[in-house]
Amino acid sequence: MPDSVFIYVIIFGTLFGSIGGAAVLVWFERRLLGFWQDRLGPNRVGPFGIGLAFADIIKLFTKEDWVPPFADKFVFIFAPTAIMMAMLLGFAVVPYGPGLYVVDLNIALLFFLGMTSLAVYSVLLGGLASRNKFALLGGLRSAAQMVSYEVFMGLSLMGVVMLSGSFSLVDIVNAQQDVWFVFSQFLGFLVFTIAGIAESHRLPFDLPEAEHELVAGFHTEYSGMKFGMFMVGEYLGVILISSMIATIFFGGWLGPDFLPPIFWFGLKSFLLVCFFVLLRAAIPRPRYDQLMSFGWKIMLPLTLVNLMVTGAVVLWWGY
Amino acid sequence: MTESPLWPLVVYFFAVIALVLIILGLSSLVGPRSTMQRATIEPFESGVVGIGSSQIPISVEFYLIAMFFVIFDLETVYIFAWAVAFFELGLFGYLAISVFILILVVALIYEWKSGALDWGVKKRVGLRE
Amino acid sequence: MAAVINAANNGIVGKLERELPDLAFHQQLTVDEIPTLWVSRNDLLALLKYLKSSCHFEMLFDLAGVDERQRVNRPGSAADFTVVYHLMSFSANTDIRIKVALGQADCQLPSCISVWPNANWYEREAWDMFGIVFTGHPNLCRILLPPTWQGHALRKDHPARATEMEPFKMTDERQDREQEALRFKPEDWGMKRKNEHTEFMFLNLGPNHPSVHGVFRIVLQLDGEVVVDAVPEIGYHHRGAEKMAERQTWHTYIPYTDRIDYLGGVMNNLPYVMAIEKMAGIEVPDRAKVIRIMLAELFRISSHLVFYGTYAQDVGQMSPVFYMFADRERLFGIIEAITGGRMHPAWFRIGGVAQDLPNGWEKLVSDFVERMPARMDHFDKMAMQNSILKQRSVGIGTYTTAEALDWGITGPGLRATGMDFDLRRDRPYGGYDQFDFEVPVFQNGDIYDRARVRIEEIRQSLRIIKQCMENMPAGPYKSDHRLTTPPPKERTMHDIETLIHHFLNVSWGPVIPAGECSVTIEATKGANMYYLTSDGGTMSYRTRIRTPSFPHLQQIPLISRGLLIADLIAIIASIDFVMADVDR
Repeated sequence: MPDSVFIYVIIFGTLFGSIGGAAVLVWFERRLLGFWQDRLGPNRVGPFGIGLAFADIIKLFTKEDWVPPFADKFVFIFAPTAIMMAMLLGFAVVPYGPGLYVVDLNIALLFFLGMTSLAVYSVLLGGLASRNKFALLGGLRSAAQMVSYEVFMGLSLMGVVMLSGSFSLVDIVNAQQDVWFVFSQFLGFLVFTIAGIAESHRLPFDLPEAEHELVAGFHTEYSGMKFGMFMVGEYLGVILISSMIATIFFGGWLGPDFLPPIFWFGLKSFLLVCFFVLLRAAIPRPRYDQLMSFGWKIMLPLTLVNLMVTGAVVLWWGY
Repeated sequence: MTESPLWPLVVYFFAVIALVLIILGLSSLVGPRSTMQRATIEPFESGVVGIGSSQIPISVEFYLIAMFFVIFDLETVYIFAWAVAFFELGLFGYLAISVFILILVVALIYEWKSGALDWGVKKRVGLRE
Repeated sequence: MAAVINAANNGIVGKLERELPDLAFHQQLTVDEIPTLWVSRNDLLALLKYLKSSCHFEMLFDLAGVDERQRVNRPGSAADFTVVYHLMSFSANTDIRIKVALGQADCQLPSCISVWPNANWYEREAWDMFGIVFTGHPNLCRILLPPTWQGHALRKDHPARATEMEPFKMTDERQDREQEALRFKPEDWGMKRKNEHTEFMFLNLGPNHPSVHGVFRIVLQLDGEVVVDAVPEIGYHHRGAEKMAERQTWHTYIPYTDRIDYLGGVMNNLPYVMAIEKMAGIEVPDRAKVIRIMLAELFRISSHLVFYGTYAQDVGQMSPVFYMFADRERLFGIIEAITGGRMHPAWFRIGGVAQDLPNGWEKLVSDFVERMPARMDHFDKMAMQNSILKQRSVGIGTYTTAEALDWGITGPGLRATGMDFDLRRDRPYGGYDQFDFEVPVFQNGDIYDRARVRIEEIRQSLRIIKQCMENMPAGPYKSDHRLTTPPPKERTMHDIETLIHHFLNVSWGPVIPAGECSVTIEATKGANMYYLTSDGGTMSYRTRIRTPSFPHLQQIPLISRGLLIADLIAIIASIDFVMADVDR
């Protein structure tokens, strides 16, 4: 197979794989929640109810493409596309295996952080453009929450960067041949995971939509495919963050040789996705100010401590 | 450091945009139209008509958070640069960044002590007289 | 017990005679033996103040109007309208009822909000329903009926059925008019749209909102996310239950009571049938009493499980509610096996219960009672010990015992403030004195303690049910009193006398002797009272339903001002109300 064809396969494989993954995840999450919550979950459409993933897509497509007359029209339409694009672009730098990636940037990590930050705009703009009070509150919450967690999300990865000496995700995976960074950078892993959940605004950190408080938060006025894009964006976020954690802290594609590397990558990401769903099933939602205080007063100092300790230890032992 | 060609990213970028546009276009083509009813043109406010506008001045706490973000996120950029060149910079780099982080921590402590990190009111204030 | 209350009654009347020699009052005898005094409008406020400050009547338990104009057996002191104040003393464990007669032309009396703040809503309700004006009330407007409503619904001359009114049509213009009437005007409530620092946002939380537990509306005045002030608005679930009682026979009204506190099921039947039985002089057989208690406690568990699950869900924990609803389904399985119904069995009858227990009921009940404690431990680990849930609820939404009494709070909400009072133990009714159980009390009066009280109550209810199961008396499940409805079937079809008797009681309904009687029980959500007035007919002349949720909602602004929206949601969850119980 010529190289360029191979790359096109990867490009479109990534694109449709991630979208398909998000669609299936919607169904899979509901099954898994059902399993954990003593109930069945969707089980009628097709085997194990998997047809529901397609039924959902068809339903969203055939809903009215509605833009409320009171909304800021352009921003209202742009907001959901932004989150979807940002999350999809994030996948460009994820290495599924040796040589299996859209692109190996030497600033891959920064690219990923940049893309997740762009998602903030999507939620904020969606909330503001709706001209709805619940949406406004949701948008403001999301801006404050994501902006706060943004700060140490990047910082929490710096320990890994110090140890591997590169922002390239391929280099980071290769640096884990002996030992996964989850062991040497456990604090960094913890902080990054929590920040990741906050960034993808999933329960327990789903304050921007907080159904019980703000009806549907920033997407109260959204319906049809534009709502669908927010939702796909959220699930893409879950997959993206999971695959990032797998790559950065769990050795990415590395694993015993009897199975191909992409399998190991997939397995690790899958287990992390399940972990995300479990968190959603188990944990209540903290209050908005508690979440912010937790970020600034605990997570940020922890990250800084992690940096200093990592630096000191490596300097001591490294030479 | 490995390098791979950049053009796949460009192709991917355009593919993503195309996909999003197709989704938007298709949904507006396939979906039904003009199911407009009397209440659909009002913003949702729990089923009754709203009071006042949603376009109101935003609480000052949000600006504070934005300021903190600017302070901390811009300064972390220096930490990024240090981290990637950690081995090259060695002990001297470590000491330099320690001073830098110390200043950050002092700023954080100041914000903490001044109460800027506490949102909301924790106590009920009772009834208005 | 009756003798004890009677002695206390004489005590209070005697004390009033001694200490307020100028007070002119006239005592009315009622079936329930609660001292009932008629006083004049001019003496009212001073008397109420005196009763609160010097006689330990801490709580304005109920305030309601009566339209006396068509009453044949009218008490001597009555005029066109009566306003009834039902006061409750916890320290002396006694009640008193104060009545004021009003003429139709001059239908007003002073507001007693200055004595008890919870009079606010009760007075609005009395105005809404009877057009009685309370001078000095800050905002006397409609509360249960829509603001556009014409007339006062509980007056006897107001239509009681849709067929007596113009056919209802919702035209576009009418919809606009009704919606506009619902628009909140901050100025009416003395609120400002902005202050020198900020412009407030006014937000309708409800009637259509996921976490207001029905159709409850709270208008919030917000500064950012801080609740500056809140105005609870009710009435969206009002179905005119009290009005319907005046057009249903004593017997056929039973199913309506199920739907007052719709999570309480047969618990609602209990005070209603007990009040009728008292007026009719029916002595209920032991077996019926124990069956009633067992079912009522099962429904208490059912209601508390719903509370538990939704409480966890409202602080954002997704899973517990599914576990609790699964157990509630198991419980409904028992209810269904016994009664044939699930949520609203309407299974109690005047003089007993509808049927005897089915074969094998012990197995079902004992399985459930054996299984639940382990489940409760599991829930405790899952929800109550979760640190985020604790952070969200410990120390939030607190009120003191004194505030609770001022605002008419009863039941678990009162016991969470350290008040050790439970009607089942302290004024045993329907046979509760035969059971061994504890009354859980917690001290902090916050969201978390309100939840803990209910969770402990589930365990205590299990104890009671177990005792019911182990000691179920033999004997009839219905009284053989002639007013028992329907009469025991075995003795109906033998001769023309019994046949006619059965026919009349079932088709026309029993004729209950004229009189007034109230029965208060410890319902799932607090003290629930049915205050029935019979004019010696087949239908109630006036049915007053005092529900616990009504005053509970009224005090929401008191405990939520200054907190965040998320706290308010947790507070709403911790109150445990259903809107049908508020609006009736």
